[in-house]
Amino acid sequence: MMIETIDNHGERAGDCEYLTLAFSPSSAPLRSRWRNNGLSADFLGDYVTTFLPADGAPPALGKRQNEVKHAITYIANELLENAMKYHLPDVEIPIRIHLELASDHIAVRVSNGASLVQARRYKAFVSQLQEGDVDDLLLRQQEESARSSESTMSGLGLLTMISDYEAQLDWRFDIHPTQPECMTVTTSAVLPLKVVPGASA
Amino acid sequence: MKNIHGESFDVRLEQENSTILFKGALRLCGTEDYAPILDMLKEALTSPAMPIVLDLRELDFLNSSGITMLSRFVMEARDRPGIDLQVLASEAVPWHARSLRNLQRLMPGLSIRLT
Repeated sequence: MMIETIDNHGERAGDCEYLTLAFSPSSAPLRSRWRNNGLSADFLGDYVTTFLPADGAPPALGKRQNEVKHAITYIANELLENAMKYHLPDVEIPIRIHLELASDHIAVRVSNGASLVQARRYKAFVSQLQEGDVDDLLLRQQEESARSSESTMSGLGLLTMISDYEAQLDWRFDIHPTQPECMTVTTSAVLPLKVVPGASA
Repeated sequence: MKNIHGESFDVRLEQENSTILFKGALRLCGTEDYAPILDMLKEALTSPAMPIVLDLRELDFLNSSGITMLSRFVMEARDRPGIDLQVLASEAVPWHARSLRNLQRLMPGLSIRLT
């Protein structure tokens, strides 16, 4: 499949279209802004369907559109929930979610502020992910999180993105330029469009 | 009949036929927020009119904390002798075919009916 982005002048504006939403977590407590994760994720999921060729009679979405829409909604929701949960309060780092549509992939990138300790913990989990078998890790995490009573970083959201949605993940850790005791953590999930799960080639 | 509902979801336990019905989109914030639903699910295990049916056909969205809650329930069911657990799922809801198989890995005897 192909997605072409046309700008207002009828010319192709690169090969990419993007949207960024930014949140300042200090403006409302976590609990009252929690519902906005779902609203934002639903919006991004809906948004991408415009760029996918229709395979159903309008206005109903075809199976392929529905699959991609759901995958983007799930991924965006999980990344946002993690960012909101682990964001370091009292730093001037906004939480950002960035959606990028290209001809061969859709990427969702979320960044948040983290303390050095949190960033180190997250990095350790990332190396576990990169070295281990994702299906085994998923099963182990399900068993473990079922046993522990507290909501710790289970990574189940990231594991399901890889295992159930075939997303390719990568990470960036940047030291804050003026506050060296904190980092901006960016998690990217890329869905290659040619192998969008459930889509016919 | 027992019922828990929120802005975007509804969960109902029908004790007389050991069925739990889920509707809408569940995106609660972590273990603590899912505890009342998990407790209600566990109630179905105490005096099951066999089998126990988890009807997810109208559950359009479930976040990973919700998947953890279902995993806990499935493991609880697995660890009690003689529990027959059935899941009703829908082909029209993309996450069902993708993520429910993970529950089957936790409890190989779990039956999933995808229609």
